[in-house]
Amino acid sequence: MDLDFSPAERAFRLEVRDWLARHRPPPLPSMDTAEGFAAHRAWEAELAAARLSAVSWPEEYGGRGASLIDWLIFEEEYWAAGCPARVTQNGIFLLAPSLMRYGTPEQRERHLPRMAGGDDVWAQAWSEPEAGSDLAALTSRAEPCPGGWRLYGHKTWSSRAAFATHGFGLFRTSGARHKGLTYFMFPMAGVAVRPIAQLDGLPGFAELRFDGVFTPDSMVLGEVGEGWRIAMATTSSERGLTLRSPGRFLATADRLAELARDADPALADRAARCRIEAEAYQLHTFGTARRLMAGEELGPAASMGKIFWSELDLRMHALALDLLGDRAESWVDGFLFSLAGPIYAGTNEIQRNIVAERVLGLPR
Amino acid sequence: MNFGFNDDQLALAATVRDVLRTHCPPGSLRSERRPAWEQLAGLGFFGLLLPEAADGLGLALVDVLPALEETGRACLPGPVVETAVVAPYLLADVPKLASGAVCVGVLPPGQAYAADADLADLLIVVRDGGARVIPRRDVRLAPRRGVDPCRPLFEVTFSRSEPLPVPVGPALARATVATAAQLVGLARELLSVTVGYARVRTQFGAPIGSFQAVKHQLADVAVAVEFAAPLVYRAALTVESDSGDRDASAAKAAAGEVATLAARVALQIHGAIGYTEELDLRFWLARAWSLSAAYGTTAAHRERLRTAITGRRP
Ligand SMILES: Cc1cc2nc3c(=O)[nH]c(=O)nc-3n(C[C@H](O)[C@H](O)[C@H](O)COP(=O)(O)OP(=O)(O)OC[C@H]3O[C@@H](n4cnc5c(N)ncnc54)[C@H](O)[C@@H]3O)c2cc1C
Repeated sequence: MDLDFSPAERAFRLEVRDWLARHRPPPLPSMDTAEGFAAHRAWEAELAAARLSAVSWPEEYGGRGASLIDWLIFEEEYWAAGCPARVTQNGIFLLAPSLMRYGTPEQRERHLPRMAGGDDVWAQAWSEPEAGSDLAALTSRAEPCPGGWRLYGHKTWSSRAAFATHGFGLFRTSGARHKGLTYFMFPMAGVAVRPIAQLDGLPGFAELRFDGVFTPDSMVLGEVGEGWRIAMATTSSERGLTLRSPGRFLATADRLAELARDADPALADRAARCRIEAEAYQLHTFGTARRLMAGEELGPAASMGKIFWSELDLRMHALALDLLGDRAESWVDGFLFSLAGPIYAGTNEIQRNIVAERVLGLPR
Repeated sequence: MNFGFNDDQLALAATVRDVLRTHCPPGSLRSERRPAWEQLAGLGFFGLLLPEAADGLGLALVDVLPALEETGRACLPGPVVETAVVAPYLLADVPKLASGAVCVGVLPPGQAYAADADLADLLIVVRDGGARVIPRRDVRLAPRRGVDPCRPLFEVTFSRSEPLPVPVGPALARATVATAAQLVGLARELLSVTVGYARVRTQFGAPIGSFQAVKHQLADVAVAVEFAAPLVYRAALTVESDSGDRDASAAKAAAGEVATLAARVALQIHGAIGYTEELDLRFWLARAWSLSAAYGTTAAHRERLRTAITGRRP
């Protein structure tokens, strides 16, 4: 066991730090506005030009073929430099792992480079009004037609779908509860999109209505009827790792420590606790990366990470508000977003069920 | 960077675990003061951290960390950390340490009473930054009430003592990390025993482990253990470095918290049977409380971290 970075890893860290110091953007408007969305895309195109938008991807798709450890290093530097959240994250962190594993070579070549470059921005269209936690209850369906499929139904709470160019989601291709689901990608053109404002008043969500939207055969990911398995395999391996990297929490803990310098000891103690927990998440993630690099699957253990980081994020932002009172303006958006952590990517109640049943072996 | 234990480190832990399963079963906690010590000594356990010149193996703290976790998991009585971890750094010149023939007790700074001092052939008392070592015959002990029946506390008075010429800080940091490892082992055992109970105890015609209110408490313990352990691993790796004290404090605060959470949940889920003297669970509960206060409380260690992170940087 060691925590020593190799000379190559240290050199990579310095390269990233140096590049970010020179290119880091000023604070951008919210990505949930038309102008903010455009500004974020431009920033991510700049990242992509330096081949820093998806460092762990193969070079042919715009990455650097870097290890997961390098990716963690990149993320630490990215957040420490104060860079913004990624508008392309659902594509890069949720769709891409599925594409790498289950996509055809042609699908990978067509979509991954454009995703890395921020040319295509993907929205995740899983939830439906009557199928949230119980995702397999979804009723949107796909019907075969010459050359492809026609999509029908109603998806909702899709992040950034108001401005995204493409979407991906599960659609029913037969009646079987799990086996009847197929994983589709589709262009957003043709989908009726209604923006839904989130707690901050901005259209961060959208509702999508499909009334026979055409998508070609080449947009089916994996086999027909295999959608559930594909979606679950990638959520479990990514949930604990790539969705929220430790760098983000370490940077937040540092900002909190600054705020807590002259604070009352009880508040400063909470800042110390947040720092300890951010480090715990970082160290745990190094262990996770090692296991993934050795070819192990994380499986249901990934749910532990999701519970841990989302609740840490909540505590950190609640503390910032307690420290700052009515001067908390720069933390407000982060606070509102932290409230969503225990809900999205599978609610924490659902994650606790998974941990209890599939990690600890308790009866259903 | 490779943040995982190697085969040797894991194999040592597996050996210690086997020995403790056989020679320190829960029943022995009621009848023996020092179960399994002879067998551990036979394995060379007390010489693992001693230099080769002192008949030891010269291992680093991180090499024995998983094995120390096992001593916590088994709720092993006796001054394990003091004899196997502190003594090698402060008393390497004392003959027969490696064979386990000398049992060592420690009274750390900030603590009123010495745990397990009744077993100690040599007692190290740390006061005002310096340490003194006192042989058994010069010590007078008065028992004091504590929570842990297998880790009795004593008020210590002594006549003659020898000053120890070496700095004690590094040895205390190692003891803190080793105790944190034991707390993680304890928490793992509390979790696993409680999961086992929740699967077999039925109420309302169903195993209580099928109720979500029970499941979620156990899931929370599992998550807390999963994320406290790596802090302890790091502390074992960095104990010699500039950040050693700070990392030891982060580890001890997290481990103390997780063990007391695991104890709290274990008791709640066992219900009234858990609140009895009859059930072996009581030993693990008591150890979680007593070790979370040993070598600095959770609050004291968190305060050290607070100072470290909010102190003005140059
Ligand atoms: C910020 C944000 C972004 C999102 N982005 C997307 C996106 O891009 N694409 C997308 O498809 N979806 C997205 N979602 C939706 C998200 O995936 C769902 O909200 C989530 O799956 C929960 O479903 P629900 O809201 O219908 O809640 P419900 O399933 O109705 O749950 C309501 C409450 O009941 C609890 N509950 C439900 N079932 C159980 C059970 N079996 N045991 C215990 N408790 C239970 C839940 O934990 C929750 O507390 C997003 C949500 C948020 C908040």
